[in-house]
Amino acid sequence: MLIKLALNGIKSRWKDYLVLFSGLVIASAIFYMFEALATNQNFIKQNTTISAAVIIFQLGSILLAIITLVYILYANSFLMTMRQRTYATYMMLGAKSGKIGQLIFMETLIIGVVATLIGIVVGTGLAYGVGTLLMQRMGGAIHSFQPLYPLAVFITLAFFMVLFLIAAIINRRQLLKQPILKLLHSSNTPTAIKHRPVVWLIEAIVGVLLLATGYWAMVHLGVLGLVLALVTIVLGSYFVFNALAIWVLSLLRNAKLASKGLNKFTIAQLTFRIHDYTRLLSMVSILFALALGAITVGMGYYNQIPLMADNAPDAYDAVVYNPTQAELRTINDLHVKSRSQYTFKTTSGAVYWNRSEFDKDPLLMVDPERSGLGDVTYVKADVAKMANPDTNEYLRLRDILLPDMRQRDSKVVTAAEFNRVGGPSYQVTALKVQNFRNDLPTIKALFNSQAKRFPQIKQDDGSYKYAFYTQLNGLFSGLEFMGFFLGIAFLAMLASCLMFKILSGAANDVQRYRMLRKVGARQKLLHQAIRREVGVLFLLPGILGVIHVLFGLRMFQAIMVQPYYKIWIPFSIFLVLYALYYLITTYLYRNIVLRK
Amino acid sequence: MNNIVTVNQVTKTYGGQNEKTYQALKGISFDVQKGEFVGIMGASGSGKTTLLNILSTLDTASSGQVTIDNQEITQLKGNELADFRAKEIGFIFQDFNLLENLTARENIALPLSLQNVPASKINPAVAKIAQRLAITEILDNYPTQISGGQKQRVAAARALVSEPAILFGDEPTGALDSKSARDLLETMDDLNKNDQVSILLVTHDPFSASYCQRILFIKDGVISTQLQRGNQDRPTFYQEILTTLGTFEQ
Ligand SMILES: Nc1ncnc2c1ncn2[C@@H]1O[C@H](COP(=O)(O)OP(=O)(O)OP(=O)(O)O)[C@@H](O)[C@H]1O
Ligand SMILES: [Mg+2]
Repeated sequence: MLIKLALNGIKSRWKDYLVLFSGLVIASAIFYMFEALATNQNFIKQNTTISAAVIIFQLGSILLAIITLVYILYANSFLMTMRQRTYATYMMLGAKSGKIGQLIFMETLIIGVVATLIGIVVGTGLAYGVGTLLMQRMGGAIHSFQPLYPLAVFITLAFFMVLFLIAAIINRRQLLKQPILKLLHSSNTPTAIKHRPVVWLIEAIVGVLLLATGYWAMVHLGVLGLVLALVTIVLGSYFVFNALAIWVLSLLRNAKLASKGLNKFTIAQLTFRIHDYTRLLSMVSILFALALGAITVGMGYYNQIPLMADNAPDAYDAVVYNPTQAELRTINDLHVKSRSQYTFKTTSGAVYWNRSEFDKDPLLMVDPERSGLGDVTYVKADVAKMANPDTNEYLRLRDILLPDMRQRDSKVVTAAEFNRVGGPSYQVTALKVQNFRNDLPTIKALFNSQAKRFPQIKQDDGSYKYAFYTQLNGLFSGLEFMGFFLGIAFLAMLASCLMFKILSGAANDVQRYRMLRKVGARQKLLHQAIRREVGVLFLLPGILGVIHVLFGLRMFQAIMVQPYYKIWIPFSIFLVLYALYYLITTYLYRNIVLRK
Repeated sequence: MNNIVTVNQVTKTYGGQNEKTYQALKGISFDVQKGEFVGIMGASGSGKTTLLNILSTLDTASSGQVTIDNQEITQLKGNELADFRAKEIGFIFQDFNLLENLTARENIALPLSLQNVPASKINPAVAKIAQRLAITEILDNYPTQISGGQKQRVAAARALVSEPAILFGDEPTGALDSKSARDLLETMDDLNKNDQVSILLVTHDPFSASYCQRILFIKDGVISTQLQRGNQDRPTFYQEILTTLGTFEQ
């Protein structure tokens, strides 16, 4: 009988259950997706030479586990706000408390197990999708990635079982230990927040100072600074939300604008919420920073690859020897910026160049003095120096020879002398293109065709930009891949935490919104109030998180030359995803509070 | 025409196509004149709340017409409905319905804010109505910090601040002790006599009803009897209500 009642209860609120259930599925899917990567030692070892990656992933796992724990607790409290009144009513009517305890225990556990199983399936799909997408982007530089990884399945299952067991025990206790009356009337009346401007001011100043200390330490103190920063930034975020945000809201509340429409109501709601959510908001802002930071650094490395390739001593994007008709056609497909042609002849001990060709069209080389990553200056080689083995010019000229000829003496001679030299003659076409990455497939084709005709190219292929680029790509794509995975997983979790926290408070707002409607608030105004309220709750930790990242990235200046290069790309991706969560939350929240 | 409210042949049927239907109002008709204080009484389940919800536009009638201040409210939609609620009517409920996260002052100001009244005009309006209802002292308190009687006065102030055409009350004294209930009723009586506020009050309680000038008795979804106070004093009218209820119940 009771089970039938319980099922009936679920049926009547299936929409809320759908929200809860899909939330849990997403959580386990994300967790699984991450574990599929983190537990795959082969993958990590093969895709990055950086030994720290394994540690980064283990740390990431632990962090993700902690967020998941928090997340499950929020989702669980959402479940309880849905159920406790019903169960309390049964108890009031005389249902045995043991039986009710059993019911809620089973309900929690069953929901959990089913959601986890579906989540693993979804997670495998997700891992496959994200994996394929990234692999395409990185041109096959990723190896050994397995979307369905048994160890990850096991860990995910075990971890979630434990979590739901804990949740089930908590729910059972809450239902049995609390007085029935409290369960029945548990809609929490917001406690009025005491007006303490002086305390707020002090807390706000302390908060900002703590943040500043953290930012400073990150940039100037290295690893020790990171530990210090973690502590001060967490505390600083907390104070900023607890004091600064509430203080600003209390100022706004007395502003003229506040008496317009539902502004006062929204401010009151926010004041209460931020007070109640301080810890969550600070956590979200930190996680936001970690997630965004992971994506930004990952992408930063990826963006850095062509810059690093550009910074190689060799100035040319492709060097072609004695091009065939087919190779000439391939060259025509390139978006060529400059094209130079030189001729050399070889004898057993020496290589001869025609000086007049260099006079007409000087050899380009990277000026090591005035070049850095992302900021390369090219200079024209001084022909007079090209014959002197002690100069950079000599070395760069040697670089456009076939590798097996580089040991020979290079001589730059006049046209007349050149014509007198015997021995096989070679044509070198040295090319620069407009955008190396855009022309990559064509350059690759050209390189492969050349390597087939001149096998000796393989002896020192690092001196050709394409091969050098490929090596770098292999090294750093793994990092980008991991950054993305970490970032997306963190983002999904933190945004879901925020979402469920907001949604589990929504039941208490139903009455308030109903009342506003009775007093004559237009539907549009109610929607606007909801958008603003949820919006601010998303925006505040987002803004603070972005500030954390902007400062945090300075830490990477030691190992990345331009951590801020093209920063808008990861930021936009991230913000779009975050905004998506905001829209979903608003939609769900509105459906709850404005339900007829 | 001196009618502030005209109800003509209103019916209300609950339940949709595939559900069990129940007709709560069966063609009810009556009117309230400007400045009148009318009570509605009836047994539990007789349709009082249903009627009041229709009058206050929170619910729609299945058929019939309702005119308030010369506006046919059954025709109103969307924003018109919301604006009508904000401007033309005020109501007080048994359970106060105050927003507990706003102070009394902010609660009272809400209907004016919704009409985009400029801030400079809101404060004097709130101060005036607060003085009228003797709640100036507690204006900056939150609902949890004031008594039930005070809450109901705040609710009344909120209902009256936009100077509505009529004030509706659904058992507004239901959750109050007898002293607070008497205070509220005297205030309503006073507002009615001195400020010409028209009031329609739904109540179970004969004592509350005795403050009205006219009482309509609902039975089975229609008006079955009505009682005029005329020149009687309140205690005498109270006795008459009790007698009528006695015969009415049979
Ligand atoms: N939403 C609804 N759906 C179906 N029936 C309803 C609904 N609301 C009220 N009713 C029915 O309509 C009838 C009138 O209800 P109403 O709430 O108007 O009574 P009332 O006179 O206010 O009673 P009380 O004095 O107990 O408050 C009742 O029989 C009730 O069961
Ligand atoms: Mg009623």
